[in-house]
Amino acid sequence: MKDKKNLTTEINPEIRDILIEMGAEDIYKCYQCGKCTSACPWFQVEIYDYPVFKFSLETALGAVASSEDKKELDKEIELIYRCVGCEACLEQCPHGISTPNILRAARRLLVDFDSYPETLKSIVQKTHNVGNPFGEHRENRADWAKGLNVPDFQQGIEYLYFPCCLPAYETRNQKVAQATVGILQKCEVSFGILGVKETCCGEVIRRIGAENIFEEVTKANIKEFKDSGVKKVLVTSPHCFTTFKNEYPDFGADFEVLHTTQYFSHLIDTGKLKLNKSFDKKVVYHDPCTLGRKNNIYEEPRNILKNIPGLEFLEVENFNRNLSLCCGAGSGGLWLEWEKDERIVNVRLKQLMDTGADIIAVACPYCLQMFEETLKSMDVDIIVMDISEIIFECL
Amino acid sequence: MKKIGVFVCHCGRNISATVNINKVVEEIKKYPGVVFCTDYQYMCSDPGQDLIKKNIKDKKLDGIVIAACSPSLHELTFRNTAEKAGLNPYLTEIANIREQCSWVHSDIKEATPKAISIIESIIEKAKLNESLSPVKVKVNPKALVIGGGIAGIQASLDIANSGHKVILIEKSPSIGGHMAQLSETFPTLDCSQCILTPKMVEVFQHENINLYVYSELEEISGSVGNFKIKIRRKASYVDNSKCTGCGVCSEKCPVSVDSEFDEGMGKRKAIYTPFPQAVPNKPVIDKENCTYFLKDGKCGVCQVVCTLNAIDFKQKDEIIEEEVGAVVVATGYELYPMKNMLEYGAGEYPDVINGLQFERLLSASGPTQGEIHRPSDNKIPKRIAFISCVGSRDPEHHLPYCSKICCMYMVKHALLYKEHVPDGEAIVFSIDIRTSGKDYEEFLTRAKEEGNILYIRGKPARIIKQGNDLVVWCINTLTGKQLRVKCDMVVLSMSMVPSSGALDLAKALRIHTNDFGFFTEAHPKLRPVESLVPGFYLAGTAQGPKDIPDTVSQASGAAAKVLTLFSSDEISHSPIIASVDEDLCSGCGICITTCPYDAREMDERKKIVSVNEILCEGCGACISACPSGASQQKNLTDIQIDNMISVLLRSNAKALEREC
Ligand SMILES: Cc1cc2nc3c(=O)[nH]c(=O)nc-3n(C[C@H](O)[C@H](O)[C@H](O)COP(=O)(O)OP(=O)(O)OC[C@H]3O[C@@H](n4cnc5c(N)ncnc54)[C@H](O)[C@@H]3O)c2cc1C
Ligand code: SF4
Ligand code: SF4
Repeated sequence: MKDKKNLTTEINPEIRDILIEMGAEDIYKCYQCGKCTSACPWFQVEIYDYPVFKFSLETALGAVASSEDKKELDKEIELIYRCVGCEACLEQCPHGISTPNILRAARRLLVDFDSYPETLKSIVQKTHNVGNPFGEHRENRADWAKGLNVPDFQQGIEYLYFPCCLPAYETRNQKVAQATVGILQKCEVSFGILGVKETCCGEVIRRIGAENIFEEVTKANIKEFKDSGVKKVLVTSPHCFTTFKNEYPDFGADFEVLHTTQYFSHLIDTGKLKLNKSFDKKVVYHDPCTLGRKNNIYEEPRNILKNIPGLEFLEVENFNRNLSLCCGAGSGGLWLEWEKDERIVNVRLKQLMDTGADIIAVACPYCLQMFEETLKSMDVDIIVMDISEIIFECL
Repeated sequence: MKKIGVFVCHCGRNISATVNINKVVEEIKKYPGVVFCTDYQYMCSDPGQDLIKKNIKDKKLDGIVIAACSPSLHELTFRNTAEKAGLNPYLTEIANIREQCSWVHSDIKEATPKAISIIESIIEKAKLNESLSPVKVKVNPKALVIGGGIAGIQASLDIANSGHKVILIEKSPSIGGHMAQLSETFPTLDCSQCILTPKMVEVFQHENINLYVYSELEEISGSVGNFKIKIRRKASYVDNSKCTGCGVCSEKCPVSVDSEFDEGMGKRKAIYTPFPQAVPNKPVIDKENCTYFLKDGKCGVCQVVCTLNAIDFKQKDEIIEEEVGAVVVATGYELYPMKNMLEYGAGEYPDVINGLQFERLLSASGPTQGEIHRPSDNKIPKRIAFISCVGSRDPEHHLPYCSKICCMYMVKHALLYKEHVPDGEAIVFSIDIRTSGKDYEEFLTRAKEEGNILYIRGKPARIIKQGNDLVVWCINTLTGKQLRVKCDMVVLSMSMVPSSGALDLAKALRIHTNDFGFFTEAHPKLRPVESLVPGFYLAGTAQGPKDIPDTVSQASGAAAKVLTLFSSDEISHSPIIASVDEDLCSGCGICITTCPYDAREMDERKKIVSVNEILCEGCGACISACPSGASQQKNLTDIQIDNMISVLLRSNAKALEREC
């Protein structure tokens, strides 16, 4: 019997119930309309069929990864890790089913059995060991701020500025943190950083399914914030934003979170941030999924860009705001390599470039990283900038 | 002191299994004021009722308490029994020891003292009850029908044909509603206009129907049997007594705007009749778009060309006062706006249209004379995508309910399209096709077999405009394959929502709607054509999505209910209503603002308030609002309520000691 292929899926209530326990509680709501599937970014990668609509049903059978054949199983695991958590599906699902949450439940199970992609294992390990997914040294975490006169956060300071891992370590992204600091200083905002005491927010490892390590990191961060007297946090990354704002409170966090675009938009509206220099460029804005769809922040970034003198603001036709397309970096996507013609980022970059823009404005370190890395191998003129960098140039 | 008799029912074992009846009788016999107490297996049976009648007479009882089931079941039965024995029915009270006691307990030791307490408290109420007689109300046998779609038309005709007067008001310039816009109707595919127009004309010519078009209800007061209404007839700037409907004015009018009747697929003039078969066939001037009104008296072409002098720019809105006995609400539906569908172009792609727009393109009397041209460039579309459940069955973003008819009209559209454009390709995108109606599944089968229509199971996520084409993104959930279907046009089967203004109307009529604004029936199964408030009846899609056959049935049902009301000259109204103690009333008037039924009036001479017994529904709002205690509910006075509560508290304490 063993070498015969078993074509019958048996309902496995045990696995199903574990998955429900782990966050797949929406599975029974699905009525198999399939809308999610053509809403998913993988649909736009034309050569690839990604069966989003099947996940609810198969999870309900307890059969997300059910093959006994190693190769088949690897394929199933790959499917589970393709999801970039962009919530394009949730945005359209008539029953509000969060497929990324269903898949995250499956991932948690896979992580528990240590059966998940090696690259992702390594970033979970690194985050656990040194507080960032790149395995960089902890003591170098504040190097980006050298010479900028950035105070360490202490009691009495209003804002904690929390750049998170990419802007802290990665050279291109460090410029965003530096520009942000420049703007804050210019506006005489009372702020400080945690410096070497800063640890990753844990968003990506949670999306990968490493729930236990996420909890550990989260609790440590909350304690650190409490001990330091942090009341308000300003973040560059929408991923920190969503985790701090929507997920940390479940673990006892009690602080306010602002994304830099929210804060800068407010400073512009109240006249505290003055944009003096002209920025004579055509700029298209790319909505980060985590800022937009997940947190409904669509207007503030646009407000900033539209207030910049000289700037010509462009939208991606058909794919903006809640219908925007992911850059492909979410939920671990930044670390996963797909075939060249199978990458979401290429589709998105094409949409952005088709607008005729000189500059792609982003508001997320992941998007910045994803676009920059992809553009390196392309022979095009377009430049990617974080909104903070554009503001900084106009001070 | 009153002589009270108490009759305890076993209700088979319903009560006696959990309540010790002997103990109850024994205790109640001792209660002050009770001169007689007995029990019986089924008090509502004939022998049970005879037992009550006999003892009322023999013991000369002047108040009885029946300890049995809920008053909503048998209060009326027992009041009639008492009346037959010569006792005023309002001296009968029910102590509910079944729903409120035996059914909710399992321990006889708990239930028995509770039953005793309940009965004792009701005895206290009975002691102070007065003899009352029902308030008689004359019924004005004239009906108001709001909305002149097929529902309103059918209800009006049914009522009028049985000899009663009807006032029919319609807010647009013609009756007919949405049915007038349809091309052919499923499942038989008969021409909609052909079956509707005769009924429209019949309404117009009926001696019992008074038709007001271009009119809306302005005000309503009163209650079942006697409503006073005010109707606002909007100025049409055309003197209908002179106008013959020749149409020269519309021909010559220089202003052209989107036609509402053609759902924007065609144009109309600023002076217009919505469609050639309109009833009445008299034009109206749309003031918002008329040059004469926009530019201070410039233009006036219609006035010049009308040889009958029928144009009257000075006409004013008219308020018409009427009195009716019943109201039928038949205000119909609209389609959920396409602008809510961001993923399908938010109503901004000219070639993505809704079902009613497609009906207009299909209609032989429509803007394209029944030829299908797409709006953007007039091209005959060679491939049309029909998408179902747009807005419906989407609790997360839109409407949770199924609009019931969209599947059917979608199938009809695909079939008719294939008839009009035989070499065209019809692709239907749906989750499932619901055909719950007589001959409907057969219609679908026929459409599938004859139509060469491609059915795809899946809900598209996007429609993307690429140049002149529209690309529908979907997946076929049966094969799992991706589809990017290039189409010339897309027809969205938008869900049905109540007509705009339904909520305001509901507020004015003080009747209920559900969360989405559909009028709520008194009972979802057993009273589907009545509102909870007496005197108001519901017909057609105003109550919920439905097709024409169901609309017509409901309209006839509502008419039958109206006729039942009109079948007697008088209706009686419960006398358990509010009263005012003239000596205590300070004339503060708080009750006037509190009363939801306008049943309170200030007597300006005496400076005190009185109750209009016909309007008072006995809700009791005024009684709790009155600061001086002048307002009292008959047979439920403050003293009665106080006594009942005291007894409950006292006997509860006693129950703790009682051995049951
Ligand atoms: C695209 C499409 C195709 C369809 N095809 C078919 C078909 O083939 N077969 C079938 O059986 N059914 C079909 N239907 C359903 C059919 O249209 C309805 O069942 C029917 O028209 C409902 O009639 P009604 O009188 O309830 O509502 P309506 O036709 O909406 O009439 C309501 C009337 O009330 C008026 N009104 C609204 N508010 C007020 C107010 N406050 N005061 C005064 N007047 C007011 C309106 O102006 C309107 O004239 C179709 C529906 C659609 C959308
Ligand atoms: S959109 Fe929602 S309901 Fe439809 S198939 Fe996907 S998960 Fe299921
Ligand atoms: S979250 Fe994004 S990537 Fe994942 S299934 Fe949904 S749409 Fe696809």
